[in-house]
Amino acid sequence: MTPRFERAWQRAVRKGKSLRSRVRGPSQAGETRGVWSENVVWIFGTGRSGSTWLGSMMENLDGCAMWNEPLVGNLFGNFYYFRAGDRIGKVGKHFILGERYKETWLEPMRDLVLGGAAARFPEVIGGGYLIIKEPNGSIGAPLLMEALPESRMIFLIRDPRDVVASSMDARSGGSWLKERRDDQKRRVEPEKNPNAYARMRANSYVQQIEKTSQAYRDHRGRNVMVRYEDLRADTLGTMRRIYSTLEIPVDEAELVRSVEKHSWENIPAEQKGEGKKRRQAKPGGWREDLTPRQVEIVEGITAPLLDEYYSDTATTRGAL
Amino acid sequence: MIRDAWSRVRGRGAPTAEGETGGMRPENIIWVFGTARTGSSWLSAMMSEIGGYGRWHEPLVGHLFGNLYYVRAGHRHEDEHFILGASHRELWLKAVRRFVLDSAAARFPEVAGRGGYLIIKEPQGSMGAPLLMEALPESRMILLVRDPRDVVASNLDAHKKGTWTADLMRKGGKEKPPSLAESRPNDFVRGQAKRYVRDVGNAKLAYDAHGGPKVHVKYEDLRADTLVTMRRIYSALEIPVDEAELVRSVEKHSWENIPAEQKGEGKFHRKAKPGGWREDLTPVQVEIVEGVAGSLLEVLYPVRSTA
Repeated sequence: MTPRFERAWQRAVRKGKSLRSRVRGPSQAGETRGVWSENVVWIFGTGRSGSTWLGSMMENLDGCAMWNEPLVGNLFGNFYYFRAGDRIGKVGKHFILGERYKETWLEPMRDLVLGGAAARFPEVIGGGYLIIKEPNGSIGAPLLMEALPESRMIFLIRDPRDVVASSMDARSGGSWLKERRDDQKRRVEPEKNPNAYARMRANSYVQQIEKTSQAYRDHRGRNVMVRYEDLRADTLGTMRRIYSTLEIPVDEAELVRSVEKHSWENIPAEQKGEGKKRRQAKPGGWREDLTPRQVEIVEGITAPLLDEYYSDTATTRGAL
Repeated sequence: MIRDAWSRVRGRGAPTAEGETGGMRPENIIWVFGTARTGSSWLSAMMSEIGGYGRWHEPLVGHLFGNLYYVRAGHRHEDEHFILGASHRELWLKAVRRFVLDSAAARFPEVAGRGGYLIIKEPQGSMGAPLLMEALPESRMILLVRDPRDVVASNLDAHKKGTWTADLMRKGGKEKPPSLAESRPNDFVRGQAKRYVRDVGNAKLAYDAHGGPKVHVKYEDLRADTLVTMRRIYSALEIPVDEAELVRSVEKHSWENIPAEQKGEGKFHRKAKPGGWREDLTPVQVEIVEGVAGSLLEVLYPVRSTA
């Protein structure tokens, strides 16, 4: 096949697709009957950064639902950036997620999300809001936001030292996550080798936050960046800012009720504490939780992100 | 009559499934699953040499879906929220199907346009074979296997210093990092044996479940009598083939026709010698492979000598 013929074929395929989209009406690809892509609100960041809390407050409002960690970002992002990372940008035609054929895989990716959303959350079809809480799929945030550029995005970030401290607690013996994942073999256990675990978790923090940050920067639609610490300090104020920036109308009384319902103070005492999913919700708690060596490890690995997002927070760098 | 026969060979005239744009017909897709170093490049090269065929070289689509489904989120199959969850299986299998067909049509318009056959050589994506075959049940499948001891021995050679895998990385602008094959060969062997079990195990699951045309091929048979084995493949897959074309292709890609300087230790074409593991692996390494892949060895190579 000559290059000229191939270019002509590609044009014909693209034209066919754009015509199909137009026929389907104002929203994309049959979305008039499904979940509106512009009403999808992604929460990206990393695990243990308050995404369940934020998602629950948002889900509680009328006309909203929450998709809890579909891992669609993990599906594509982990493969694209890591497992097959050496094949990104290659000129060849063979790699399934090859740059040259992006259109052929972004479309099915979009369908997978919107089709999966409509099947699972029929209550938000035709105008409701769907919060997709996807911290552990944040590695795929740039791809997902490219596939669904009309959707909205929350970049939720938390101090990496607190994230690592929380993860270490969650995976320690008898904790909620350890019990849930007992059948899974993990390469590094925090109890057996805490420093190696801290290093591994800090590295995954960097991967996830860097990709979230990339998606946030490139996204031309409505997006907002939220620090967990601000959400803790002034939940209602921060929630108002989220809705206002994302241009989602919200009933003030409903928002107040939801914030109140999910407040730390309203969680029963027996559901909080060490080894529980809701641990201490205390920004800066890492000072009590991590050893100086672990702090040094985390700060060393996450230094550029600490500088960018937590320049107002003291580090121990140089003091140890 | 001739036109009819040609149409059948090339697959023209049959309708394309609704909504499957670009015209790649799922029944004209031939998957080659197994694992790396089983002769899949050789087999697919022989098949794609024949007129009207295209060869898709390791798209890794099986790895894309298989890795999350079977490895990283294996514990979430029953979770309603999981994107590849059991409760919405039909829905996401449709997306997988579209993924493959749209991508194939865009990459191989000449094959799609004239209803030709597309060989998808996917040994390293064999982990996802059960999902792909379920998504495209009309497609055809070759389960290509080789004695795991020879597979591991071949990989052990390939990952040593200065071999073809390092050349490949250098071409891509990277230096090959130090490999376990050099520093801890027994650990490397164990890892490769596990990979064999994962890849071939899942490819066999797909093969057993597949209701469409399929064929199980042993590398050893392909080496022993290539032409006869190739005839068996086409016959089992119900694909007409021109005998003269087949003979020419087999001859062209025969071991004997590969230039001497392209063969040998550290080369992509190493020794193509079934049973070569006896010279390549240490007794401990043989024991490791037989221990890890024992159950598959029993099924795939019931008559065998062990360490």
